[in-house]
Amino acid sequence: MTILTGKAEVTRRLQPDGSGVLRKIWEHRADYAYVLPAIAVMLIVIAYPIYYTIELSLFNTPPGLQLRDKIFVGLDNYTAILKSPVFWTVTSNTLIWTAGSTFISFVLGFACALALHRDFAGRAILRAVLIIPWVISAVAASYIWKWIYHSDFGIIGAVLVGLGLSDRPPNFIDSVSTVLPSLIVVNIWREFPFAMIMMMAGLQTVPDQLLRAAKVDGANAWQRFWHVTFPHLRNVSTVTILLLAVANFNSFIIPWIMTGGGPSNASHIWITHIYELAFGRQRWGVASAYSVLLFLILMSLGYFYVRALSGNEQKDGSE
Amino acid sequence: MTRISLGGAILRGTVSTALMVSLTSASALGAPVDLSKWSPQYVRSIAGTQDFDTAADCAKVTPLDYKGRLTFWYQGVFEGDPDLLRQYYKDFFATFRKTYPNIQLEEQALTYNDLLDKFRTALLGNAAPMAVRLQILGGTEFASKGYLQPLKPEDVGYATEDFWPGAMKAVTWEDVTYGIPTNNETMAFIWNADIFKRAGLDPDKAPATWDDVVKYSKQIHDKLGIAGYGLVARKNAGNTPYRFMPQLWAYGGGVFDEATADPTYKEVKLDSPQSKAALQASYDMYVRDKSVPVSALTNQQADNQPLFLAGQLGMMISHPSDYDVMLDLQKKATDTDKEKAQTVIDNMRYGLIPTGPDGKRAVVFGGSNIHILKPEYVEGGKVDEPAAKAIICMWTSPEWSLKMAYAGSNPGNLNGFKTKWMKERLDNIKFLDVTTSMLPYGIPFPALPQSPEIMNIIIPDMLQNALTGAMTVEQAADDAAKKVKELMDGGL
Repeated sequence: MTILTGKAEVTRRLQPDGSGVLRKIWEHRADYAYVLPAIAVMLIVIAYPIYYTIELSLFNTPPGLQLRDKIFVGLDNYTAILKSPVFWTVTSNTLIWTAGSTFISFVLGFACALALHRDFAGRAILRAVLIIPWVISAVAASYIWKWIYHSDFGIIGAVLVGLGLSDRPPNFIDSVSTVLPSLIVVNIWREFPFAMIMMMAGLQTVPDQLLRAAKVDGANAWQRFWHVTFPHLRNVSTVTILLLAVANFNSFIIPWIMTGGGPSNASHIWITHIYELAFGRQRWGVASAYSVLLFLILMSLGYFYVRALSGNEQKDGSE
Repeated sequence: MTRISLGGAILRGTVSTALMVSLTSASALGAPVDLSKWSPQYVRSIAGTQDFDTAADCAKVTPLDYKGRLTFWYQGVFEGDPDLLRQYYKDFFATFRKTYPNIQLEEQALTYNDLLDKFRTALLGNAAPMAVRLQILGGTEFASKGYLQPLKPEDVGYATEDFWPGAMKAVTWEDVTYGIPTNNETMAFIWNADIFKRAGLDPDKAPATWDDVVKYSKQIHDKLGIAGYGLVARKNAGNTPYRFMPQLWAYGGGVFDEATADPTYKEVKLDSPQSKAALQASYDMYVRDKSVPVSALTNQQADNQPLFLAGQLGMMISHPSDYDVMLDLQKKATDTDKEKAQTVIDNMRYGLIPTGPDGKRAVVFGGSNIHILKPEYVEGGKVDEPAAKAIICMWTSPEWSLKMAYAGSNPGNLNGFKTKWMKERLDNIKFLDVTTSMLPYGIPFPALPQSPEIMNIIIPDMLQNALTGAMTVEQAADDAAKKVKELMDGGL
């Protein structure tokens, strides 16, 4: 008995008083012990690179010096970015690229999901065919589309010239004015199946009895969609849009492989510009400053994503 | 007289002028090479005059029974290279393994456009290979940053005089040598005689000046509806500076004074009237005349090759190996395409790269160099120097520096010209004389750590800004000059 009392006394001394965070951690110490290895790995592979990127963003890294000989410049990299005309070109391209790709991919995916939700002959085959662009690797898709668009060999140009609709093959990816829309088309082609799959999954959850009740009440197809189906898909739509937006903001492969950001920076988005600054020009400091800004933007998008997911969970729980 | 011999006669006729010019103007070549002798005839006279035993020579550097391990990256073949070159690369590594059976070799081939980025990344992570064969553009950057070990030809059994002085400049930083040239390339001007004929041009006469190129390109496009000149202006691709710089230098322009005999690289000349005239010529072809491939801004030379083979392109700058590339491509063609391709091959002509308005002729003195890394940047922190020297000795030997440049360029080791393989090569590789004739006009890229950025990014950017109309020719040249100045000043 004496021994047991002694143990209890020791435990009481280690236990934090009150009801603060420390006490909560203490109470769940076994849980924390389980996730500790994962937290350690996260710190190494996520936290350290983030810290190092922030640190690098405060230094200049001239091409003639090794990275370890970097020169401290404070916030100069950030001010240099904001003063650079390329920053505004790249930011504008990124916004057009992200908004255009996300919105159109979502609408097209949603439309296809609605169409494929109905029962008709060949639905399974069509569903499989529509998913193909999504399963093709982005690298392969980029090369395929580069050849489709190619101004001298491309099939689109050949058809247009062959039909007499154009004297010369159009400049899809070699022109400042058409390159970004042309790349957005490729991105949408690759992404809409993802939106379609998400929305098809969402449509499975819309209760049939509600739709039938609405029909009995005299609601037409549009009214049933707008007042019953769509509100039910609000959360899955939010999550899909956010996932697409984050993926597009971070998208690298298609613009890099197809144009390398050109011509004349017309298809450079943040991520390709950062890559060129870092690996092509070794401006590690400026590239890191861009990365820090990109990180903040993506974190805010991530916040909305998590909030949307939490909303879903709460709703599911209440139901 | 056959068409080929006519081309040869034209070539020989221009060689004497070439040599005169090379003696009096900037070139890659310096005193140790006797320029007064260097000509296609001289090369033919020395070919096959000396035997070399590579294994025996390299055994003096690293014993053949040496046991070790070597990691090695190299700029290897890419999609635009002929199959012949692929075979020689395979043969080299097979021979090395046979000669040094106890050296565990882990080699990795990377393409020209990928190598610099990947190598820089590996260096930052102290995960570089022990030895590397880099394009000529990269050596100074890595030497200046202290990544490379001092290495000169004498370290692997050769003499510095065995290599082109211009090539040695590219491996020298602050009077220390950090590598050995493996090969040196000077490109040539290639045209389709049949297209010239159909366009009303002399089929056996290359454009004499760059102004002629602009004129011929327009004439070909206007008469035949196909692209005249194979302009290349892709960013981050080695093909672009290799094709634009000869034009820039011919007009009397330059990034700095790299086209002069003793460059100082102090004054930026991209915004000079001469440089602007060169840019204007490209603008005239792309924008005004629309006489070049529409896809020039995303094209590499590998995109021009099928256009040329399809008879859709009249002229381009490329290697002598393009003849072999065309033969390879023709083998893969089917039915009537095969015949059409053969017609193009029969009509291929090689000549000297055109001059500028003042008779100045120039070509990039390109090629590759081989280096050994310092241990602290190598994966595992150790460099097996004898193993690295063994492969370097073999690659830069008269035998292999010739064989590895068989179809595309020239051996880095001048003794390669004396081998029996050179003699065989002269018989087998058409138009080789043109490449050797262009050597005296070779101008190395500025030997500066900033050169890769200037050549791979700033120059193509300047071209793209002018050709897309994002800037005027004047603005694009001024903008590029400003960027170079900022870069040299260490700006952000």
